[in-house]
Amino acid sequence: MMAFNMVIARARLDIWLAASSTVVAVALSVPPLRSVIEQSMAWHMVFQMPLLVLGGWLSARAMPPLVLMRRLASFNQFGLTGFMTAQVIVAYWMLPLAIDRAVVLPPVDALKLLTLFAGGMLLADAFKRAPGVLQLFFMGYWVSMMAWLGIYFATTDLRLCNAYSLESQINTGWGLLALGTALGTAWLVSIFRKK
Amino acid sequence: MDQLSSQTPEVSLLKTFSASIAALVAGLALLWFATGGGQSFTTETLRRQQVNAQPQPIDAFDVTTGSNEKTSLNALLAAGDKVWLVDFIYTRCQTICSSLGTIYQQLQAQIEERGLQGRIGLLSISFDPANDDPAALAAYAKRMSMNPAVWQIATLSNWQDRRRLLETFGIMVVPAPLGEFEHNAALHVVTSDGRLIRIIDYLDYQTALNAAIASAQRDAAPSPQDLRASR
Repeated sequence: MMAFNMVIARARLDIWLAASSTVVAVALSVPPLRSVIEQSMAWHMVFQMPLLVLGGWLSARAMPPLVLMRRLASFNQFGLTGFMTAQVIVAYWMLPLAIDRAVVLPPVDALKLLTLFAGGMLLADAFKRAPGVLQLFFMGYWVSMMAWLGIYFATTDLRLCNAYSLESQINTGWGLLALGTALGTAWLVSIFRKK
Repeated sequence: MDQLSSQTPEVSLLKTFSASIAALVAGLALLWFATGGGQSFTTETLRRQQVNAQPQPIDAFDVTTGSNEKTSLNALLAAGDKVWLVDFIYTRCQTICSSLGTIYQQLQAQIEERGLQGRIGLLSISFDPANDDPAALAAYAKRMSMNPAVWQIATLSNWQDRRRLLETFGIMVVPAPLGEFEHNAALHVVTSDGRLIRIIDYLDYQTALNAAIASAQRDAAPSPQDLRASR
């Protein structure tokens, strides 16, 4: 009975975490909080975007598997196709011009919310199914991309986004570097724990 | 893993590989399309690339000049059959438009020295018509020692046109602290018939001036008077 209660409590916590991270991330795209991501590139790129992916990830963990994912499972052995799709989504939203568009055009911003959330869901499924080697390949790619992009954002004199100041871009750069490092470390810890 | 039992592993992996490659190819196509063929990763370079490939016609706008003359942007551009270097400012600006102002002063001096005022014009357009009334524009003109034969200043007559104007020229204005604006600064080469033909970084103003001169020569086959004047 005790164990059963713990399982219920755990499931409730999962749902609560999934819902709250998604709600906070979406709320940042809607007035009055929207001004936060309009003025700060760091809040947009280092907080909201990863939080959307996290929201998708936690939602996939908290919900029963989607019928669609089960139907398509034979196209997604080891989560490979999920990884590839998430990769495309993340790469697109790292483009300075995509970030500008999300700030200026509300429909593009809505697309950003949807795709990053979906990317998070795909990743949750992919990490569950992929062997360590495949995880290493994609994690290695993302961590180095974030670190490289972060250092570039932080050190270039070019203002890359028309929507943000150079100062905001520099903060974002260091933030991306920190986030990449944190993600890489968290992944390593999770791998060693499983062993 | 349960579907492995019903199918051979090779077949499942074939489906997965095909789907993954399809996702990758679609993704690369999207990135290729979004970045103008892998050339532009920022809004600014994409805009410059597009204008360079295909000159953009400029919409009709009602403007008010620093001498409180109400006219249209197209009429202003058509006056004197010049090629224009257009920049966007607001007169209270303490940051980037100050550098733009200095650069325009240097361009004005160069145009006067080289006797180009018949062919090249400078035009500063304020994107803050709410604050920049004709008096503010005139004060700015005085502060910058503008020579009206070379350098004109104007703002929108109707502030409702502001968004359309900024979109036409690809300017993004973001409110910044202390009532300032953060905005991209560039020099826009515009022909007298109202076409935007080049966008060039403001630090590269010599290139912008040369592009304007080249365009002026291309547009108007030089008349004998022009040739005499330039000698």
